[in-house]
Amino acid sequence: MAASSPPGRAGRARSLIWAAAVLVALLYPIPFERSGYIYYETVGFLVLLNAMLGIGWNIIGGWAGQFDFGPSIFLAIGAYTAALLSIHLGVNAWLALLGAVVVSVGLCVALTYPVTRLRGHYFAIATVAMWMIAQPIGATWPFINGSQGLFIPVAPGGSFVHGMLTMEFPGRGKGLGFYYLSLLLFVITLLGARAVERSKLGFYFRAVRDDQDGAEAIGIDSRLYKVIARCLMAAIFAAGGTLYGFWALAVFPDQVLEVNWNILPMMAAVVGGLGRLWGPALGAIILIPISQVMTATLGAGPLAGRGIDLIIYGAVIMLIAGWRPNGLLSLPWAEWAARFRGRAPAQPVKG
Amino acid sequence: MRILRVITAVAVLSFLAVQLGPGARAAGPVTEVLIGELLPLTGNFASLGQQYLWAGQTVEDIVNNDYPDLQVPLGPGKGFPGLGGAKMTLVVRDDQSRGDQARTLAEQLITVNKVHWLNGEGTSGNTSIIQPLVDSYGIPMSCHACASPTLTDKGFKWFYRTGPNDRTMVASVFQFLKEWPGRGGPSDLKTIAIFTCDNLFCQDNRKIAADLAEKSGYKIVADLTTRTGATTLASEVQRLQSANPDVLFFVQYPAETTVFQADAKRAGYMSKVIATSNGAYSDQTWLTAQKAANGAVGWLGRDPTAIDLASKKPAWKKVNEIYKKYSRGQDMGELAMREITGMLWMADTINRAKSVEPAALAKAANETNMTPDQMIIDYKGIKFDQNRQNELATGVVTQIGWDDEKHTIWPWDLAAQAGFKPIFPSPSWQERESRTKK
Amino acid sequence: MTLLLQAVADGLQMGLLYALVAVGLAIIWGLMEMINFAHGEFMMLGMFGAWGLSVSLGWDPLVSMVPIAVLMYGGGVLVYRLLMQRVQRGEVFTQIFATVGLLFFVQNGVVALFTSDYRFVEKSFLTGLSGANITLGGLRIGVPLLVGGLIALALFLILYLLIDRTDFGLALQATAEDRDAAMLVGIRPQRMYAVAWGLGTALVAIAGVILANFFSVYPQAGLSFTVLAYAIVALGGFGSILGTLLAALVVGVVQSVTAAYLPPAFKDAFVFASYILIGLFRPQGLFGRF
Repeated sequence: MAASSPPGRAGRARSLIWAAAVLVALLYPIPFERSGYIYYETVGFLVLLNAMLGIGWNIIGGWAGQFDFGPSIFLAIGAYTAALLSIHLGVNAWLALLGAVVVSVGLCVALTYPVTRLRGHYFAIATVAMWMIAQPIGATWPFINGSQGLFIPVAPGGSFVHGMLTMEFPGRGKGLGFYYLSLLLFVITLLGARAVERSKLGFYFRAVRDDQDGAEAIGIDSRLYKVIARCLMAAIFAAGGTLYGFWALAVFPDQVLEVNWNILPMMAAVVGGLGRLWGPALGAIILIPISQVMTATLGAGPLAGRGIDLIIYGAVIMLIAGWRPNGLLSLPWAEWAARFRGRAPAQPVKG
Repeated sequence: MRILRVITAVAVLSFLAVQLGPGARAAGPVTEVLIGELLPLTGNFASLGQQYLWAGQTVEDIVNNDYPDLQVPLGPGKGFPGLGGAKMTLVVRDDQSRGDQARTLAEQLITVNKVHWLNGEGTSGNTSIIQPLVDSYGIPMSCHACASPTLTDKGFKWFYRTGPNDRTMVASVFQFLKEWPGRGGPSDLKTIAIFTCDNLFCQDNRKIAADLAEKSGYKIVADLTTRTGATTLASEVQRLQSANPDVLFFVQYPAETTVFQADAKRAGYMSKVIATSNGAYSDQTWLTAQKAANGAVGWLGRDPTAIDLASKKPAWKKVNEIYKKYSRGQDMGELAMREITGMLWMADTINRAKSVEPAALAKAANETNMTPDQMIIDYKGIKFDQNRQNELATGVVTQIGWDDEKHTIWPWDLAAQAGFKPIFPSPSWQERESRTKK
Repeated sequence: MTLLLQAVADGLQMGLLYALVAVGLAIIWGLMEMINFAHGEFMMLGMFGAWGLSVSLGWDPLVSMVPIAVLMYGGGVLVYRLLMQRVQRGEVFTQIFATVGLLFFVQNGVVALFTSDYRFVEKSFLTGLSGANITLGGLRIGVPLLVGGLIALALFLILYLLIDRTDFGLALQATAEDRDAAMLVGIRPQRMYAVAWGLGTALVAIAGVILANFFSVYPQAGLSFTVLAYAIVALGGFGSILGTLLAALVVGVVQSVTAAYLPPAFKDAFVFASYILIGLFRPQGLFGRF
């Protein structure tokens, strides 16, 4: 982990980078709004959403060290709960989000505690099992309208502010609105995760990851902490699911339980650097624009339909995995930054 | 430190520069009509998506090149005469059969590529995800081969469909079954079993069929839903066999249909009538593969057009030749026909509007009154109801004969033209084997 | 009653086919604990190989099985040497990442070359037998599936003997259990992993060749079998070849019996629910070495 901020010039450099990053994040959609290229705002939305989900996954995968391959069930639970609350009870989106989180965490506790008996890959398959069981339920349960899906009605009219309060953007404000909504949720998630990381909870998670038997020997209930970690993730995925539902305005079982929701947050976390707070954000910023650009260029035109963009995407992923198996944050950034400023690095940094 | 300040300044300045950069595209004479093609070209629905792509490329070819003898809209002459010869350009995007990709790419096509019309997505589920988005941007969109009734029932202002929806299509099957006894068919069909996959398309069909079956007085002896990607259907076949329905209403995709056929063959199971609705029945590769072992003989289903009759039209033959250039030799299947018909309608509409402004396009679209002689498909015409569903899109019922080709068996006037006597009962597996061409 | 017995018989037959698909994974993942998301894609390559050779050279899949296995063995070793060996230096999770990339790469490579059309092996020894049944005590047993199942059993036996009864197998197990200790006794772990990948890939490609006789061949074909394969290897227990076989039979029967009495859409869900249930009582799977 990084040491506390070095004093002096390095410290000022850091603050400057921070300020610039915040400025970029806040102002990013403005130029696109003006030029009408709303699509790029949506790409930003996807990056932030997946970064947020990645942070969630990082809690169970990176910190607690458990393989969870089926987090999408919580996205689905969140999306459906929010949709049902909104459609049948007319509940405001933010309250629906709260409801989604509560239901998701509740189900998570019930589902996860029994399977914490399983370790390693066995636990992983148990999470896959839950995902596989969720699919036919989603497709056939009449209460959620099965495979015919739920449609979230959007009231006409409404200003931007109204939209932020209700997650409803009937007109063209969608791109902008959802960008800022996702930014807000991302920041909340990040701050929450940071708090957890530095707390005793984070310490217990890492203890369970590094040496479960040893942790138990000193009285840490590994099962309890695995459940807590997974349910923190479930809360975040439920929030993400709510956001997704209001963005897509339709919740279909095969869409919210789609395999990419399982894989992409995990990949973002791994690419960025497993267990690092900013890992998922970095991973999402890299993976999503690459795949979008490739879809638009290689997946279009005369090469369309041949999957060329996905071939290259797969190759890029393999390259990153082979070249930097510990994630991109493991690159010696501090060393490079020091060299860039023209001074020798302060101390040797391991890659 | 200083270099860091410089970098930050440059970043901020470039942001401001982009902010003050070029706005919307300048108006002027249109030289290129951009049609967004959002399709599932990889992933679960790839085999459908590629047929839609070939259909789109065929229409692009027809519009942009001069086919003087081709009696379809914009066949003769190059480009759009109403727009001074502007050409049509497809802007293709693959959404990997994913809803979030579909929505994102739709936004890209509309806001970045500035397409004038969005054609897609090809599957009813993902199309319903992009409908609200397109409506909020206000450009016309269409999915001609998407069959779910909800797509037009919801009343989206900008969504047009020229093809029939499942309600019409399933109804035609039941109508045929109802009228059949009066035309020499069996009058003792009393029980029905419904066997469908679990996604939106199959379930739509299932609900409509269950409803119509009850209204027609059938007893539903089994109603089984299976997941797509099934590796075996042996137990399901067993259940159907013991339920022994007179009619099996079957809606599955090609992969599962093949599994079903193998398992049914092993079990020696065949119902008197197999009625289908799209799925495998519309898939060219599945149909072609059935020729080897007569696997599909006797299967009947709805088709949007009387394929055996349509293929005699010179226009159909010509369009098929063009299609085969893009499809690596595969003939136009019924999905491609619906799509081509719809996209030619779209081209005609753009031409009549003499503009690419959405309001003009919508007006021209709403005023459509296309007659059958201009189409390669057997609709009664193209005229939209208040939900922008083509109310003249009819269906026919076809059956696969011993020559492994589809023949029209309903409506009766077209059936008489086709000259094919429906096969009843559906042949047993032994009979199919024994009549295989070696 | 016959419904139940026939369902069990059908389930056992399918179970043998599932075992065939799972056995390659049992080596790579069950034994050597390397995560391979692209397992299904290698099976799919085997299917395409069988179809391609059948269509272009007229070779029966039972014949082309051999050259395809050899080729895929080489492919597996290549994947290990070029990619997985490097990935091993990092987090375990990176293996997921890397093999997901491999999945995209291979699956779409096939789409680019062959499109997503459904293809069928039309003329082969096994398809020729397709209607033939053996009736045993009132139960129907399809001959082609039976042949496929016998091949699966044979492969399992060979593999079991290889892993549990030869020095080489012991070396593999040793490497998986404690790499450093294995090095101390002169085993070269890289070589063991490479061979494991080669073997695993070759085996699943053979599975693909056999399955091509019964199922449509298309680029996305890998998915439905591989999810079950993962459940099977975990249920059988890591490190146990026989456990994989037994688990496969259990899975086949559970699936088949569920579909006979409950809504068929839930048959896979029940398989996975059984996994969880069994896991609660035996967290290391049926025969896992844990």
